[in-house]
Amino acid sequence: MMMQGPLFPTWQIDEDEYRTVCAYLGISPKAHLYEKLSAYLASAPFRFKRPRGFALFLAGVRLTRFRLARMDQATRLFFPEHPVRHVLNCVIGLHECDGEGYRELASAPAGWRAALAIAGWLTGYGFALMVTLAWLGWNFLAYVAGTPFRREQNLAGKRILITGVNRGLGRDLMLHALEQGAEVIGTVRSQEALDNLAAELPREAPAWLLVADISQPGALPRVLTENRTQAEAIDLAILCAGVKHGGTSVLAMPALRETFEVNYFSTVDFANWFCAGNSRKSLVLVSSIGRWHGMHLTGGYNASKAALSIWGESLEMELRAVGKQHIDIMIVEPGIFESGMMKRSGVAKLLLTSRRDVAKQILSGAMAGKKSLRPPFWFAVLTWAVCLGGRNLRYRLFARIK
Amino acid sequence: MKIVVIGAGVSGAHAALTLLERGFNVELWDVGRHEDSFPEPGVTFHELKNRLDDPVDYFLGRDLDALVPPGRGELLRYPPSRHFLASDKDPLWNFLSDGFAPLGSYHRGGLANGWGANALSFDEDDLAGWPVSFSEMDSAYRTVYARIPVAGPVHDDLSSQLAGSYPSQPPIRLSSADERLTRAYERKKSRLHGLGIRLGLARLAVVTDPQRKDACDYCDRCLWGCPKDSIYNPGRSTLQACESFEGFRYVPGRRVLSLVPGEGKITGIRFVDTGSGQTHVETCDVAFLAAGALETGAIFLRSLRAARPDISPETEGLMDTTVLKLPYVALSGIGRPPDSRSFQYNRLIMGILGEHGPWPRYLHAEVLHLPSLLYHPLIESMPFGSRLSKKLFFVLKSALGVVSLFFPDKITPGNRQVLVNAGEQREAVRLCYQEANEKSAYITQSVARVRAALWRLGCMPKGIIQSAPGAGIHYAGTVPMGEGIKRCDATGRSNLFANVYIADGAAFPSLPSKSISMSLAAHATRIARSARL
Repeated sequence: MMMQGPLFPTWQIDEDEYRTVCAYLGISPKAHLYEKLSAYLASAPFRFKRPRGFALFLAGVRLTRFRLARMDQATRLFFPEHPVRHVLNCVIGLHECDGEGYRELASAPAGWRAALAIAGWLTGYGFALMVTLAWLGWNFLAYVAGTPFRREQNLAGKRILITGVNRGLGRDLMLHALEQGAEVIGTVRSQEALDNLAAELPREAPAWLLVADISQPGALPRVLTENRTQAEAIDLAILCAGVKHGGTSVLAMPALRETFEVNYFSTVDFANWFCAGNSRKSLVLVSSIGRWHGMHLTGGYNASKAALSIWGESLEMELRAVGKQHIDIMIVEPGIFESGMMKRSGVAKLLLTSRRDVAKQILSGAMAGKKSLRPPFWFAVLTWAVCLGGRNLRYRLFARIK
Repeated sequence: MKIVVIGAGVSGAHAALTLLERGFNVELWDVGRHEDSFPEPGVTFHELKNRLDDPVDYFLGRDLDALVPPGRGELLRYPPSRHFLASDKDPLWNFLSDGFAPLGSYHRGGLANGWGANALSFDEDDLAGWPVSFSEMDSAYRTVYARIPVAGPVHDDLSSQLAGSYPSQPPIRLSSADERLTRAYERKKSRLHGLGIRLGLARLAVVTDPQRKDACDYCDRCLWGCPKDSIYNPGRSTLQACESFEGFRYVPGRRVLSLVPGEGKITGIRFVDTGSGQTHVETCDVAFLAAGALETGAIFLRSLRAARPDISPETEGLMDTTVLKLPYVALSGIGRPPDSRSFQYNRLIMGILGEHGPWPRYLHAEVLHLPSLLYHPLIESMPFGSRLSKKLFFVLKSALGVVSLFFPDKITPGNRQVLVNAGEQREAVRLCYQEANEKSAYITQSVARVRAALWRLGCMPKGIIQSAPGAGIHYAGTVPMGEGIKRCDATGRSNLFANVYIADGAAFPSLPSKSISMSLAAHATRIARSARL
């Protein structure tokens, strides 16, 4: 099930962390119990209270043996419903159902040794607590220092439409939005993709999945209307589905047509439907930093994204002119990041922003009413620098890219 | 003459059996779901973890619904493998709740599929305010004790308080923790009697005679379903006794909605066929309502609305016991190895005696040394991290216990069932309940006495857990005995419909502290015996 890593990193732990938890509790890790733990924690965002503030900061800590011991003590005292408490409680709950697991958990000193052991443990607890408090203080400082750069998100009660949620950025956007408490309407291109995704998501997740083949004109508004979704009911729409025919000539008409249909015309179609009405909402267009320059053998991908960005700007001006300022338009032009559309190689790995980070930035930017976003920013600056060098420089640099 | 008994729980089963013994033909209508048999008889709770294919699925459920999350204050969740309980998630459930979270059962045997097996009778003092004397009830108790095997002592310190109790089986075996506690009790007896506290062996509707095939084998799985059928279940033994009569017909798949009113009588019964979902009416001459106090109250209210639309469709009462749990650590048990086999439910009971205004003299408590449970909620509720809590817990395990106190209830204005009178939910019944203020002083005082007694017994009480209203599962008093058309007479006959008898706890005009199942059986027996048919 967990092919692409944990769905909800605030709650779930990976297999290494599970082994650490088992070693800490003195029990043997078991693969089938890890699967159950993972499935349980995947449903946690929809069952339990979301951590906030410092507790949320601590949930991002990767569990090593030392940190786990600190987190165990600290959360029991200060955050009794912290995700790590759910992890420890669930691991104990699962292992006590298992014959061997129960024997390991229940082994205890008897008779007079019990009294000695208790005295020893309590003394040890006192020392460990001092280390924990120091560690906690240090982390609190780190948390406070980072506060100006962090924006807390609470998407509870928001309904978000995201296209192309079965993989790539769309998938991360959906998972992050769900983890933050939003309700997501996600579209995918085929029934098969929908079935696979539905099997992976926990049953409680408030995600409504729809099949919409947006290479067909008018498909998205039609599917939404058929499923009784009104434009007023959507707070935020993120159009994220896109195609790129790598290695295809920009003269190949069928590929070019499809690229424009999916990357550009479907957006215009949708905006016609979405911008009617008077409710406050946001539209996020996921373009590309490549819209600033041409690129050969892309089946017209860069051209379609250039059209999208320019059209998005135009739409914003037009909405302002007709007094529809309650619709925010945000244009996202991601540069290089781990998107599933590219292969990762050595240097790229170092420079890539993680896809989940980009998803976070898009959601918080959209909620804050930002107009444009170009993650990672250094890549945008580099691109612009090259663009300022004129067509000759661009030609010399980009034409060599295979 | 067509006699229909509605409901196959403890009340319905004993009403039907008594009528059959009187020579009448009886139809017993019931929703009639049933549980599968329980796995691996003879294997203990902990051994089961090695024997099942997927023990996590069995113990915690497919979605780990029985895993108690941190910070919930629950000590245990009901085993997910048991599904005889019904609540608001059940499609047949038609109650709305206002501060009262009830449970019911649509299974053959009703809530007795998972009862705690404590078998006590109401004595003269408990029956104060009832239009029935103890001697009238006593003859019914004798019949019921002859039908239900009850394990208990011939005589102990509680015997004088437990009139109407006739054990026929040897007492259940005590665990070593119980034995340590009883030894401490013997030493401190006079001081404890001064506090009004008495400790005794539990009276349990369990077969313990080792000669019998269905005798308890101490597998520690009571809560998970007795695989040997040692704990009394009316859906099995009493209905089997009914089935030996030719005039008996068990009719499953029927959920009764209401009675069809005629001239001072009913002419038929309106029910849903649970298979097809269709509503039907069938005629009958006499009906015995034994669907449990909540359902009986609901059926009565729907019938009342049909017969007398001018009267507001709400019951005279709604009662339940308030359950309070006092966990403790028995200091002498620290570091002791746990018993390998034992009876999972309580093997000791405590009586707290004294005058408390309108309440009965005897307050019932059950003393339980934690045998086999899922321990993660207890570990998580300790004030340390998981690692230390887990280690401490298993050293303390044999020392841990809990005293559950069952506080009585009486008919209080405002606590009632109200039929929704308009709209889509016209058939639904709202349960309105608030804990009576006057009870809180009684509770505080009793808790203080039990705590003092625990200290004397070498036990350290720690904390208090109060269950939500409705969790007592001793529902009663929705069509109580008394005067007025919303009540029934001393023979259980409805004051509104001359051919309807209230054969279950709905007829109780007050709810004593003692466990009610034996009194439900005795009441049903008495009503069926005295009915003028």
